[in-house]
Amino acid sequence: MFASSPTSFLSAVSFQPTTALKSSTPRNTSSTKFVASYSTKETKTPHFFATKMASSISLYEILGISTSASCHEIKTAYRKLARVCHPDVVAMNQKETSTNDFMKIHSAYLTLSNPEKRAQYDRETYNRPKWNISSSSLTSATIASMSGFPVYAHASRNWETDQCW
Amino acid sequence: MAEPAYTVASDGETTGDEKSSFTFPEMAIGIDIGTSQCSVAVWNGSQVELLRNTRNQKMMRSYVTFKDDIPSGGVSSQLSHEQEMLSGAAIFNMKRLIGRVDTDPVVHASKNLPFLVQTLDIGVRPFIAALVNNVWRSTTPEEVLAIFLVELRAMAETQLKRPIRNVVLTIPVSFSRFQVTRIERACAMAGLHVLRLMPEPTAVALLYAQQQQQSGHENMGSGSERIALIFNMGAGYCDVALTATAGGVSQIKALAGNTIGGEDLLQNMMQHLLPDSENLFSRHGINEIKSMGILRVATQDAIHKLSSQTSVQIDVDLGNGLKICKVVDQHEFEEVNREVFEKCERLVHQCLRDAKIEIEDVSDVITVGGCSYIPKVKNLVTSIFKGKELYNGMNPLEAAVSGAALEGAVASGVSDPFGTLDLLTIQATPLAIGIRADGNNVVPVIPRNTTMPARREMTFTTVHDNQTESLIVVYEGEGKKVDENHLLGYFKIMGIPVAPKGVPEIDVCMDIDASNVLRVLAGVRMPGSPKPIIPVMEVRMPTVDDGHGWCAEALNKTYGSTLDLVMVQPKV
Repeated sequence: MFASSPTSFLSAVSFQPTTALKSSTPRNTSSTKFVASYSTKETKTPHFFATKMASSISLYEILGISTSASCHEIKTAYRKLARVCHPDVVAMNQKETSTNDFMKIHSAYLTLSNPEKRAQYDRETYNRPKWNISSSSLTSATIASMSGFPVYAHASRNWETDQCW
Repeated sequence: MAEPAYTVASDGETTGDEKSSFTFPEMAIGIDIGTSQCSVAVWNGSQVELLRNTRNQKMMRSYVTFKDDIPSGGVSSQLSHEQEMLSGAAIFNMKRLIGRVDTDPVVHASKNLPFLVQTLDIGVRPFIAALVNNVWRSTTPEEVLAIFLVELRAMAETQLKRPIRNVVLTIPVSFSRFQVTRIERACAMAGLHVLRLMPEPTAVALLYAQQQQQSGHENMGSGSERIALIFNMGAGYCDVALTATAGGVSQIKALAGNTIGGEDLLQNMMQHLLPDSENLFSRHGINEIKSMGILRVATQDAIHKLSSQTSVQIDVDLGNGLKICKVVDQHEFEEVNREVFEKCERLVHQCLRDAKIEIEDVSDVITVGGCSYIPKVKNLVTSIFKGKELYNGMNPLEAAVSGAALEGAVASGVSDPFGTLDLLTIQATPLAIGIRADGNNVVPVIPRNTTMPARREMTFTTVHDNQTESLIVVYEGEGKKVDENHLLGYFKIMGIPVAPKGVPEIDVCMDIDASNVLRVLAGVRMPGSPKPIIPVMEVRMPTVDDGHGWCAEALNKTYGSTLDLVMVQPKV
């Protein structure tokens, strides 16, 4: 497994916006493969435990909800994602990626479910010109695992077309 | 990868992990090892089923008797526990003793058990022995537990007609990671692979999530969550959890636990009935053991009776001319144990505070565990919740093991066409994990009640000019000072560039994956350069073995000041 050596472990952890170019990975590729290849290519990590996620993907996108989602919708989205992305429920070979994905989902949930933090996040985010919707291990994993999941049919943001791949 | 710490494979099979979820697996069974009783449960395809032993019991006394050459445990043994206790050959309460050193107050409180527990107060494991043919046969809690687990395994294999390898075990919230490794070692000795260790109330939370799902309180994904408080008090430990449940997903909001339980109630009562017991029994001869055993059984009986009647007559002959003849009523029992009950109350309040949940927001209050039959325990919980009626959908003795069996099925990848297994518990860390820094302080890197899997990072720096080495000492617990916490392990980072103090940036990252494996990573950076100067060290914890109390003391004495670290205030 790629997590056995410190370098690859850390690079699997890191989440750099610079890798947006690798976004041409087909949508149906398994998330594990995607991150595995990503970690072999990206051997140098600028910050060595980049636990914070890149700002290029918004927390709303991580949870797959609109920026106007209610608190209730946020909770629902979080639980639905947990049901498919939590390492306890994914196949054995996806544990590593799903661990990273779940931590991102959880931290997005923590921010957005707290009105104060959400307001602060919104202020900071809207000051940016636009979100560079880059692909990342998370998006691919989330999309891959979420595809065909009914919730997105009536989610206000349509993921299929919003992604720029 | 998360290789189990001690895989002593009983046969040449794969190591459990990799294979199981693809081909349909050998499903893990759930085991609740209680301080006083154990039970085993399994998902039978449509519901959870508790296994019974040859005597048709679902609850088996947790003890092992050492006699002649072959020890035998409470699963198969035909003799009654009470009788065997009198001979000094039966060892029990291993869940209280496991992974503790001889300075621990819990070990000291175990000295009046009817077998030998000796302490030297130097931070090594206590001397525990059973009296076999007038010779003290030394043993360890791990060994006793392993012997017991072998019997449980054999029983389960006979009934399920398949080999058992994977198990989900429930553990108390307050168990340190070191104690967890002792449990894993005992399982390995018994040829079992631990798929998951669940804090007991989180197993109950999973069962609750399933019941909520089935009772149609909600359909999948409706965000209307129900907050439940779970109060679990058994013979050895008291645990509290707050969980938010919706759509079969139970998110643990906060956990709180303590080493108080029925055993404390029992010991306080024994002390009350025979104030001089410590002196009387200190010789630990065969007669003293017999007296202790008789007193214990009589007191236990009385406490059980006090759950359903207001007073009880105790009339017992301890031998050696000692007789106890006394009427005890409920009020007296509650007075004698006031401190224990107050601690329980504090635990509930602490849990509510940690979860930032108001009493009014709690939809269900669940009390489980053997002590939940005690009127005072029920009262103290209901009075905190202003007279709210307790949740009555669970058998207090079977809730934890049922939850473990559900987790066993879910974690083995079993799915159910009716969706009864579409369940998930999102766990939280019961104890903070940090490193020693700023002198004898512990700086938490992952605070308690952090959702798992988790990864946190903090930056430290050197305290001396030209300090080229520093010691990363990892502790677990809530105390501010090192000696109030459990030592998990330590390692040294070397090759810090020569620089004035406070310049090198030492990054410490802690990572807990979903199977609760803790890794500690440390690397050194110089200001302005994002690249690590030396290769990042990654260490799986805990690393320490027995005698860690000693070890911690020696470490801090020898290296405390020279290899110290200080925290760097986070830059905004």
